[in-house]
Amino acid sequence: MDKAPVLNQVLLQPSSRVGADFDAWLWDVGGSGLEAALQEPGRIVDMVKEADLRGLGGSGFPTWVKWSAVAKQTGEKYLICNGNEDEPGTFKDRVLMEECPHQLIEGATIAAVACGIQRVVFYINPHLSGAIDAVRRALHQWQQSEWPERIAQATGVAIDYRVQPSSGHYIGGEETAAIESVEGKFPFPRAKPPYPTEHGVHGRPTLINNVETLSNLPHLLRNGVEWFRRQGLGEATGTKIYSLSGDVLRPGVYELPMGTPLSDLLYHYGEGMLVGKKLKAVFTGGPSNTILTPKDIDVPMDFESVAARRSALGTGAMIAVSQGTGIVKKVGEYVSFFASSSCGQCPSCKTGTYYMSQLLNRIGTGQGTRSDLDSLINLCKILPGSGRCHLVNGAVKVLDSSLYHFMDEYEQSLRGAPT
Amino acid sequence: MTINIPYDEAIRRYRPLAERALPCTADPGEDLLQRYHPDYIADRCIQLTVGANAGDPCHRQLADVLQSDSRIDEADLAASPEVETDVLVIGGGGAGCSAALEAARAGARVILATKLRLGDSNTVMAEGGIQASIEKDDTPQMHYDDTVKGASGQIDRTLAAQMVTDGPDVIRWLIQQGMQFDLDQYGDLLTRRAGGTSAPRVLYFRDYTGLEMMRVLREAVFNSDVEVWDYCPAVELLSDQSGHCAGAVLSSLKDYTYSLVKAKSVIVATGGIGRLHLNGFPTSNHFGAVGDGLVLAYRLGAKLRDLDTFQYHPTGLAHPHHLGGTLITEGVRSAGAYLLNAASERFIDELRPRDHVAAAIIRECAEGRGVDAGHGQSGVWLDTPSIELRSPGIMEQRFPKLLHLGIKSGIDPRQQPMLIYPTLHYQNGGVIINRQGASTVPGLYCVGEVCGGVHGRNRLMGNSLLEIISFGRRAGTTAAKRVHGAGMRQKKVSLEHLRAFRRELMLAKMPLTQQSPLLFPEYAKFEKDSDYDGLRRNTRVADDG
Repeated sequence: MDKAPVLNQVLLQPSSRVGADFDAWLWDVGGSGLEAALQEPGRIVDMVKEADLRGLGGSGFPTWVKWSAVAKQTGEKYLICNGNEDEPGTFKDRVLMEECPHQLIEGATIAAVACGIQRVVFYINPHLSGAIDAVRRALHQWQQSEWPERIAQATGVAIDYRVQPSSGHYIGGEETAAIESVEGKFPFPRAKPPYPTEHGVHGRPTLINNVETLSNLPHLLRNGVEWFRRQGLGEATGTKIYSLSGDVLRPGVYELPMGTPLSDLLYHYGEGMLVGKKLKAVFTGGPSNTILTPKDIDVPMDFESVAARRSALGTGAMIAVSQGTGIVKKVGEYVSFFASSSCGQCPSCKTGTYYMSQLLNRIGTGQGTRSDLDSLINLCKILPGSGRCHLVNGAVKVLDSSLYHFMDEYEQSLRGAPT
Repeated sequence: MTINIPYDEAIRRYRPLAERALPCTADPGEDLLQRYHPDYIADRCIQLTVGANAGDPCHRQLADVLQSDSRIDEADLAASPEVETDVLVIGGGGAGCSAALEAARAGARVILATKLRLGDSNTVMAEGGIQASIEKDDTPQMHYDDTVKGASGQIDRTLAAQMVTDGPDVIRWLIQQGMQFDLDQYGDLLTRRAGGTSAPRVLYFRDYTGLEMMRVLREAVFNSDVEVWDYCPAVELLSDQSGHCAGAVLSSLKDYTYSLVKAKSVIVATGGIGRLHLNGFPTSNHFGAVGDGLVLAYRLGAKLRDLDTFQYHPTGLAHPHHLGGTLITEGVRSAGAYLLNAASERFIDELRPRDHVAAAIIRECAEGRGVDAGHGQSGVWLDTPSIELRSPGIMEQRFPKLLHLGIKSGIDPRQQPMLIYPTLHYQNGGVIINRQGASTVPGLYCVGEVCGGVHGRNRLMGNSLLEIISFGRRAGTTAAKRVHGAGMRQKKVSLEHLRAFRRELMLAKMPLTQQSPLLFPEYAKFEKDSDYDGLRRNTRVADDG
């Protein structure tokens, strides 16, 4: 393997994982990124652009685009730090918030300084009680320190911070749903446009970034663009935190260079599949994307390379399943998650995900007929793009790709199929 | 190698006598157990390396089964039907039936799944009787004291206290179900004294009390709303997202298919492990007693206890060879039958606790005072003619099953002594439970022999039949109540706990060659090439994916 250590070198390095201990955070990495940001606030957006920092909550959208859109607006602006992490197989933000809350606060502050934002909201899934507690304690330490005053003097803007537990719904992680939630309403996604960068919380420009995205900033500012670009492999930049789970020997969170091959994650860090079974499939990023199969094992795990295999990196969640796993039931489990997570606003999503889940359940329990399978195939054709947000698309993607790769398993599960 | 006296020579020496004194040299000595009881054989135990009891001593053969891989994968459950119920009872013996009956009477929907047929269990093997302090000179306190004293330590006093307190009510309940007991001429319940007890406390029906108990429980279950799934062994438990027990995977022996039964409470009542033939001993146990419940509960994270102690019943038949291990009730010794070595001498007080008596028999044979029955088997005499001499007709009246065993053996126990040797009889340890039968895993209840703690390291005669009904009823009622508890709407179930267990197995570098639960002993015969025969062989099918 590589000579230089590459595991957990940036966001999850020991000096970052100090919990709500401000002094420990400042002892090594803390503070210097923010110092650099205060020196040249006008250059931060450019640095983010040159570093090619992406939205690490799943979209892979270039961060600087949102930032520059918000930065050029005037008046009151919001930053929502999105910690609503809820999808199956994703558990990286919890670690970042519980173990590195000061890294997040400093990152959010840098974003606020860069975009002239006055109001920062840490929007956290209430099920992650440890994360809420850690961020609250860290924020208290931060507010007691000299830093808020220094920032106010340097930028002329006093930043107001607050922690707001989300509603705990999966859909609350969607950008516009998060805005509704921060406004105190049920997290129904809004139609876009207008985009949050123009019309967000209370109609004000709002920047929404994932916890991991923001946590990168202290390091980017401290070490510079060149250093950041060097952290990735190939064209990719920076690092990525992968949540590895499923039938592997060592599941967990692994921070690795962006673009690390899937095989390294599974077999080197995850130490291979359980009880010697072979890999069957990998559900990526949510799991609302196209399934990867063993032929994709060499894929570099960055946004472009995974997209080139018609899938998506998403949140960096990799749920690896072995030959010992039945695909129909597994997909049924995920589609059922999406069905119960649908906010019910769009009829096609509300009924479509529910119906897909029912059909999968019928087939998965040996009760399905040929026409049930045909219905599933049809739903995969008509449902995509029919909702305000991407929830229904995600549910269809995972189902559709499982039909593509594992149709034989569906056929064998039909009622009366030869065993 | 020790040479014992050949059978023919020893039987020639034997003379039936009504009374024989216990020689003063028969003092067992303090180190009897340490020197001769199989629980103390060096190297018989290893430390468990995975699971909730990692680090605890466990019999090697049991450890192999506990630390095995599962028989199934999620993929095996493709297209398997799913059924929902409130309470799933696994095991069709006395504990399972009483639990199922009480759960159903409390209003729960109950499925009772049993590996073979309802009643195929060790309950029917129980001959001697059931203890309960119903005599006017007896008290639950005395019953408790005897139980604790006989337990050779490590008893869960709370459980023992609960069991003895339930005693009289258990008898009342059994009579209400229709069970018969032997009565005196006034219609009062007859009792007799068990080994290690201070008062006559064992109620009985001839010498097939367990069979009579099972008869009425079986009828009661068939006449209740309990749905019985026979020939459906459980091969794995199901867990919910919190790791709580949420049902089981049942495998049908009729069509070799799997079913998922989702349940809000699961009661495991699968009995013990006699058919593992620990230390090479014969066993009195039923065919299906291969530790399934221990495996299932352990894999789900339940904590077990005392996995290094087993009861060897002193009087298992040692001759003829083909009936080796068959139980002869302790009731025979209660009625006054002596144990004699090959020189026709008594060597221990026959009513000492079972572990002492068994160790003394093993000592006699180890030191050349036993009877050699051939086939490498030795034994000592159970002097049945002595009780017949004292009370003519007693055998026919009170021990018809023994007489029948005599016919099968070609020996008339009224005239000739029976050759006996300790037989693997009972698993003293097992799943840790509380007074309601709840294990350490929420939603999982365990009752009967699969549990540990009730009897410590040695069980008294008649306490197992009491235990199965006492805790069976309690678990049934509690499991049914749980159904209506907060947050009990049907949850998502999975085999996620298997993943965690497999991870532990791999990290501990355990060989993954064996699968469990075994379901049947290795010598079980199935139709050649039947699907089930393939499953039973415990061979891992090569992964060609």
